[in-house]
Amino acid sequence: MRRELGKGEPVRELTPAAGLTGRPVVTLGGEAVGQVKDVVLDAVNGRIAGFTLAGRGLFSGPLRKSVPWAGVHALGTDAVMIPSEEVLEDKAAVTTGEEASGGLVRGARVLTDLGVQVGTVRDVIVEAGGEGAVVGVEMSSTEALGHHEATVFLALGSRPAMTGDTLMVPVRDTEDVAGDLTGLAAAVRRRRLGGDGGPGAVGEGRAL
Amino acid sequence: MAWWVWCVAVVAVVGLLAAVVLGVQARRRRGGVIVVRRGRRSGRGGAR
Repeated sequence: MRRELGKGEPVRELTPAAGLTGRPVVTLGGEAVGQVKDVVLDAVNGRIAGFTLAGRGLFSGPLRKSVPWAGVHALGTDAVMIPSEEVLEDKAAVTTGEEASGGLVRGARVLTDLGVQVGTVRDVIVEAGGEGAVVGVEMSSTEALGHHEATVFLALGSRPAMTGDTLMVPVRDTEDVAGDLTGLAAAVRRRRLGGDGGPGAVGEGRAL
Repeated sequence: MAWWVWCVAVVAVVGLLAAVVLGVQARRRRGGVIVVRRGRRSGRGGAR
């Protein structure tokens, strides 16, 4: 079972998920085994499920291996560290080709529970340490938020309801939008001080 | 045809092929952020 983010738990470094693509995957022995191709998010648990890999050379393509999140030693600013190649698993352990083609986050609409589209997803913000939790979203806003096509950051509940097409948020969560990652970190901290995933946590990540 | 025309044609063809190969490679390697909706083992997540 996924551990819920505790009340008052500190907010670790926040990272845009798309920024992880292309980052080298290196063992603690110093061997580069590839680079991150896809960042796979587990919508059920609201966290990173793992990474698919591509080779490092110019002429190398996608690899058949993947790194499940449980095998990640550290998510650094310059590399994803794994203990050894033994943690690598078959690509299907993280995602299938069918899921990969249908679940791209970028461009998904952000809908409130009242059915109002408040934006379009540009990126997902994850917490680099701990469980790799999805804590927020960077989106292009609609007029519903008062600014058309402005870049805003929205904190998400502990189990956001998301698919490759739609991210659903409680309407009251849209009242606390941030203009940058620092503001998002503060919003996430406020949520945690206030209790689990915040007052408007969507709950069980229902399919839409 | 003059010899230099052949040279230009060969260089053009090689350049075109290289561009196609690089384009296909870039597309194969391009990744993204994907959402999946199946329960996976939750593991502790090693990143500290």
